[in-house]
Amino acid sequence: MMKALGSSRLSRRRFLTASASLGISTIAAPHVARADDPTLRITGWGGKWGEVMKAEIGPAFESEFKCKLQTDSAFPYLPKLQASSRSAPIYDVLHTNSNEQWAAAEMGLVEPKIDAKLVPNLTDVYPYAISDKIVGVSIFTSAIGLGLRTDKGYGSVSSWKELWDPKYNGVRGGYVIPVNSLGQAFLMMCGTLFGKGQTDLDAAYAALEKLKPIKIVDFTGAMEKMLLSGEVGLCVIHDSGIYRYDGQNQPIDFVAPSEGVLSLEQVLTITPGSKMKELANAYVNYMLRPEIQKRLAETVWYSPANSKVKLDAKYDAKLLTTPEKVSKLIQVDWKWYNERKDEIDQRVNRIFRA
Amino acid sequence: MGNSASHSPLLSSDRNAAPRQMVSASMRTASGPTHYGRALYLAINVAILIFLLAPIAIVVVFALNPTPFIQFPPVGVSLRWFEKFFASRDFMHALGFSLQIALLTTVSATVLGASAALALARGNLPGTRLIVATMLSPLMLPAILTGLALFQTYVLLDVGRPTWGLVAGHTLVTLPYVVRTTLAVLHNFDLRLEEAARNLGASPLRTFFEVTLPLIKPGVLAGAIFAFIVSFDQFPVSLFLVSPGNETLPVTLFNYLKFDLDGTIGAASVVSIVLAFVVVVGLDRTVGLRSYVKL
Repeated sequence: MMKALGSSRLSRRRFLTASASLGISTIAAPHVARADDPTLRITGWGGKWGEVMKAEIGPAFESEFKCKLQTDSAFPYLPKLQASSRSAPIYDVLHTNSNEQWAAAEMGLVEPKIDAKLVPNLTDVYPYAISDKIVGVSIFTSAIGLGLRTDKGYGSVSSWKELWDPKYNGVRGGYVIPVNSLGQAFLMMCGTLFGKGQTDLDAAYAALEKLKPIKIVDFTGAMEKMLLSGEVGLCVIHDSGIYRYDGQNQPIDFVAPSEGVLSLEQVLTITPGSKMKELANAYVNYMLRPEIQKRLAETVWYSPANSKVKLDAKYDAKLLTTPEKVSKLIQVDWKWYNERKDEIDQRVNRIFRA
Repeated sequence: MGNSASHSPLLSSDRNAAPRQMVSASMRTASGPTHYGRALYLAINVAILIFLLAPIAIVVVFALNPTPFIQFPPVGVSLRWFEKFFASRDFMHALGFSLQIALLTTVSATVLGASAALALARGNLPGTRLIVATMLSPLMLPAILTGLALFQTYVLLDVGRPTWGLVAGHTLVTLPYVVRTTLAVLHNFDLRLEEAARNLGASPLRTFFEVTLPLIKPGVLAGAIFAFIVSFDQFPVSLFLVSPGNETLPVTLFNYLKFDLDGTIGAASVVSIVLAFVVVVGLDRTVGLRSYVKL
């Protein structure tokens, strides 16, 4: 063994030196790479969103504002923000879904509103993006509706209530409500469909009981795969999860039910303790710019919040790009929901465990 | 060899040959129950093997299937997900970073764990049992809590999420493996060998490197292998400790599958399995693992 090592070019000394160098460079790399430019710490999605942010939109922001953009795309964001100091939060801008933003706002971890004087593009957003159901500003939204297999002879679907049709027993799909915001929004929709409104939980629970058997998934992206594989024939899903397969000749389609579609907002907020407030506001404003909105909308099939955005015809036809289309959005009262989340989780777990 | 006496069990120098032949004769004459027992034993082993290997087989099928979703039976064989995995800068960076962290963790956990085990076995320390229990406690605590606690500690210390912090976190959860396996070999260690070396004039340092270390090597190596594999696959601790732009492979995979549940995940899993296999085989070839590991 020793002979073999000795005869080769890789001596023990060289090996140890190389290993030590590798170790030191691994540990020291972030410090060496740290630039003098101010750093804006944000959160962001992975997938296509992350790709285009990393390749184009992030570097363009850095170049224009002479700063470094440090994006954390490793979940979970909220516990990390909770664990960090209020006066020196781990993020300057929090990008996440509306339900988490409300939870963060309730804990005082993010500022409830964005100042329109500091973010001029706020004047151009659709009303839903800064409504009383939103903390911060919604920069994009998806529409939660129904996903359908078009090759199984199910016929046309136009109402949420068709999800309860016994012909979909065995091929019906939904989400694990305690961990998925699409599932939570759907629960509120059940109250609207079968009761007095979103907050009619008894009606929602009764409706969920009748929805069984149903295949449920926890990750949002898993539902489109179930639909693509044919394991599910009709399911709750967001439009982006269907439209992203546009042009790939897949037998799936998105249905916007007549009762309306639920909004799944992408929300930005600023942390109160941020030392980079000016840059944080500039980032929010930048993300609302029409050209940035167009690029991202046409990459990930999210509907832009800025009403001035003109999308290419293919995207314009399907996304929510006019006041009429946007008026079909139903926003969830996440503040109300979060206050009852534990009780709701226990109840729905009992329903689906039985 | 070639001795005719060796054919006779009674004259054979192999004193076990006679009883062995008698046992095998009794087994040959045994009727149904023994046969059924062997069949049951075989069936249980096959079932355990299937249980252990089925997930790996499914991952391989998923990685080679060209469809962008899990489909059984597969519709063909394609390397498109491997191409996507190896072409992705994010995945390649995460793979390289994970390997670096695993190697650094292996070194730190092995040095610290083996030293601690030696001190615990030889040091006549007060409260040894309590110290051993404390050192093994990271195995009993949910790793996600360890990760969160470390994250909060780093925040309080205002050091951010440094790479050394990630290595420290991984070392914490891999240390028990090295301590446990080294203590196991030290338990049967013949102290007279060290005493003999000292009596012959060897210094404590020379005794350690030429007598003690070679003898405890099996336990230290086994612990090092555990440390590498546990660190390379570590998710819950890394989840809180990775810094933006420096995510490990398991964290990158988790973030990826939240948005894209395609065969790239399968391809990455196959690469991880192959890498773990290569490390074990590599150690076997370079340091003769088989001759050492007799725990």
